[in-house]
Amino acid sequence: MSKNNNIPAINPVMIVFLGVLLLAFSIFLITFQPNLESLNQNVGSDIMSQLIIAFITGITTGGLSCLAVQGGLLASSIAHQVEQDYSEKKKLKTRFNARLPIFLFLVSKLIAYTLLGALLGWLGSYFTFNPTTRALLMIAIAIFMIGNALRMFNIHPIFRYFSIEPPKVITRYIRKTAKGTDTATPIFLGVLTVFIPCGVTQAMMATALGSGNAFTGAALMFAFTLGTSPVFFIIAYLTTELGASLEKFFMRFVAVVILILGFVTLDGGLNLMGSPYSLQNLTRNSSFPSAESSPEISSAQQITSAEDEITLYVQNEGYFPEILKAPAGKDLTLNLVTDGVYSCALAFLIPDIDFYQMLPSVGTVQVNIPAQTAGTEMYFTCSMGMYTGQIIFE
Amino acid sequence: MIKKIFKVSDMTCSNCAMKLESLEDVLDGVKEINASYHKLEMSIEYDESKLTEEDIMKAVKKKGYTASPA
Repeated sequence: MSKNNNIPAINPVMIVFLGVLLLAFSIFLITFQPNLESLNQNVGSDIMSQLIIAFITGITTGGLSCLAVQGGLLASSIAHQVEQDYSEKKKLKTRFNARLPIFLFLVSKLIAYTLLGALLGWLGSYFTFNPTTRALLMIAIAIFMIGNALRMFNIHPIFRYFSIEPPKVITRYIRKTAKGTDTATPIFLGVLTVFIPCGVTQAMMATALGSGNAFTGAALMFAFTLGTSPVFFIIAYLTTELGASLEKFFMRFVAVVILILGFVTLDGGLNLMGSPYSLQNLTRNSSFPSAESSPEISSAQQITSAEDEITLYVQNEGYFPEILKAPAGKDLTLNLVTDGVYSCALAFLIPDIDFYQMLPSVGTVQVNIPAQTAGTEMYFTCSMGMYTGQIIFE
Repeated sequence: MIKKIFKVSDMTCSNCAMKLESLEDVLDGVKEINASYHKLEMSIEYDESKLTEEDIMKAVKKKGYTASPA
């Protein structure tokens, strides 16, 4: 009754081995990558480092996540074509053709997503993403990621609704198109993947939108999609479908990574809102009572150049000192000192007074802070919510 | 033509639903398949003279899932 295909069987151990290798390589890259940031980028900071981050995101979570959403259907569609070639041509030729449609598919996907990135960046240029909007966007993305991770762990049926099901019209159309035998088919399929983006891809698309620049948006999506390509190529080439048990194994990996990234993103969003309940601010606050004599506090006092002036050193690794003490009840000047800084620490933000400015790589920027009551804690952060600190008024 | 609903409780993502819907292409006598990951079920409209429930469950099994009549 069924017309099942006869794709050659692939050793699942090999796939797992390659997956583990890839993950190990990715973890190595993440560990030794300086100034690593989260998915969400700040406007105008070092573009090259953002592209590297986008690429690493692609080769790690993006690749696996895309594989979960697009891999099974599209790889099997391509394999269907290969199978047809296989029955018509000699074996040696088939080996060549097996690579070609996947290559064409990935190249067209890369081009399509790059153009999509340009479009999103261009659209984003018409919106102004103030820090609060960006914080809300980050929190929304975080909830989406955490919900998806919990769905993968099958915690509760409600989390299944975090999975966006593409319209039947689109999936059916893609499937019908996949039956074609010409070389244009994988190209067309690659383009169609823009309609079934995975969760991480959607987050990256939001980032491209937030860039507010067509070129940056295109470059971000290019780097990200390029990163996903090796995973896609290896898996699509080696197998047409992951076995159910193996798929679950991969999904556990993806779920753990997405869960961690989700909480990191959530923490960044809370930092951007100036919330004292972010993990960084909570841990800093909880250690504060014993920090009276800590180097941060004493150095803060030492660098106070005048009674109504405080100084913060902006460095590639963050803000120093992390805790500043300031007198309450009087207007203050905060001196932000940079000297050869190129990380996103330059995108400086104080949510409570709605201050946001891209600092120069070298120089001093003065911020006027209105008088605060004693006991006030004012948080500052980079625009990605990664580097943080606080001013305590007393 | 008859329309039946099967429970497929081991779907893990929306891609599983797409995989199940691809059975439209491999089973003779099927008019339409709609699978939902949210509901963990699959509705199938098919010609009873060409296909049985057992054929459908076997085909689903080959895709790596377990279907049972709802």
